[in-house]
Amino acid sequence: MSQVRRTDLETDVGEVLLTEHQIQTRVAELGAQIGADMAGRTLTLVSVLKGSLPFMADLMRAIHLPLRIDLMEVSSYGGATTESSGLVRILKDLSSSIEGEDVLIVEDIIDTGLTLNYLVRYLRGKKPATLRICTLLDKPARRLVEIDVDYTGFTIPDQFVVGYGLDYGELYRNLRFVGVLKPEVYGEG
Amino acid sequence: MTDAELAPPGRDLQSGGSTLAAEPDTVPGADAATGPDTRFAHASEAEMARILDFYGVAWDYEPVTFPILWNLDGDVVESFAPDFYLPDFDIFLEMTTLKQRLVRKKNRKLRRLRALYPDIRIKLFYARDFRAMMLKYGRLGLVRSLSGTPGQVVPERPTAVEPIVGDDAAELVPAVEETGTPRARARRRGGSEAAVAETEVRG
Repeated sequence: MSQVRRTDLETDVGEVLLTEHQIQTRVAELGAQIGADMAGRTLTLVSVLKGSLPFMADLMRAIHLPLRIDLMEVSSYGGATTESSGLVRILKDLSSSIEGEDVLIVEDIIDTGLTLNYLVRYLRGKKPATLRICTLLDKPARRLVEIDVDYTGFTIPDQFVVGYGLDYGELYRNLRFVGVLKPEVYGEG
Repeated sequence: MTDAELAPPGRDLQSGGSTLAAEPDTVPGADAATGPDTRFAHASEAEMARILDFYGVAWDYEPVTFPILWNLDGDVVESFAPDFYLPDFDIFLEMTTLKQRLVRKKNRKLRRLRALYPDIRIKLFYARDFRAMMLKYGRLGLVRSLSGTPGQVVPERPTAVEPIVGDDAAELVPAVEETGTPRARARRRGGSEAAVAETEVRG
């Protein structure tokens, strides 16, 4: 798998859902909106590894406010590291306190809302002054638990997407666009 | 399962042997969530319970049975017990099997539930939703392993409401589960014209 070429990765994508230009345009809009809403404050962006990394990198440069960044990583259901406990594990916690801070969670995609719901509860326990959510992609058809999202880049249809941080089997994150993975790639074709 | 009282909309509902008010906010919370002894009717439900546990989302398994069809005597002849209730989100979750016939049946029940209990929030989680979730979690093999096994073809479990006051009413219970139009089913069961008409209206 590690020897998959870039061309192979792109071939595995059946449809480009969001082009690089569309993503960059929307990220700029989101940055401007967040900057206007939070004017006069210092923001702390909390990105959730790994899928949010490209979005975080672009969004932070589109927000013209003083800001800090921090990174978190939580185990995902089904992952090898989670089988023993049966519960979410914080694989990487915040590097510094967010108590009293204006925090913006930066997510790549929200579908069931389970991970984000967990994160929101966890971060609220750290007593930030405000806690907002920004997601690049929202897939509401998959929602299991309701989440109030403050900033949404794109609402997308109920398809399995990869690229711009989103993976399948840890691949495709480096695509500059968001595309729909061909079902045959994961054995459904 | 448990016997039920006659329960027109807005009246008491049955819940695992104890009667609950119809409003979902009276459903027990996280501390009432069933534990490892819970017997799930379907392997996908057990997997969903593990996922909810993993993310710390409280759930109850089939805590409430909603009557959705009555005969002319007021007896419950059809009911709907959603698989999960998530108390923190005040929403019910019903999971379907892969069999399209059962999906259609559940869709019909769901429409009726929503018509009778408009304040109830419920999400129907289709097989494709489950498959997508397993794909996301890298457990697509689990879905494949369930296909064609009793995990996917298990008959719809009996409703928690096994009423019925009179013999005629009892006869109508299987009738609504059978094939054919409600009118034809009721006629096969020898129901009165009035009962036939009522069944048709409600079915």
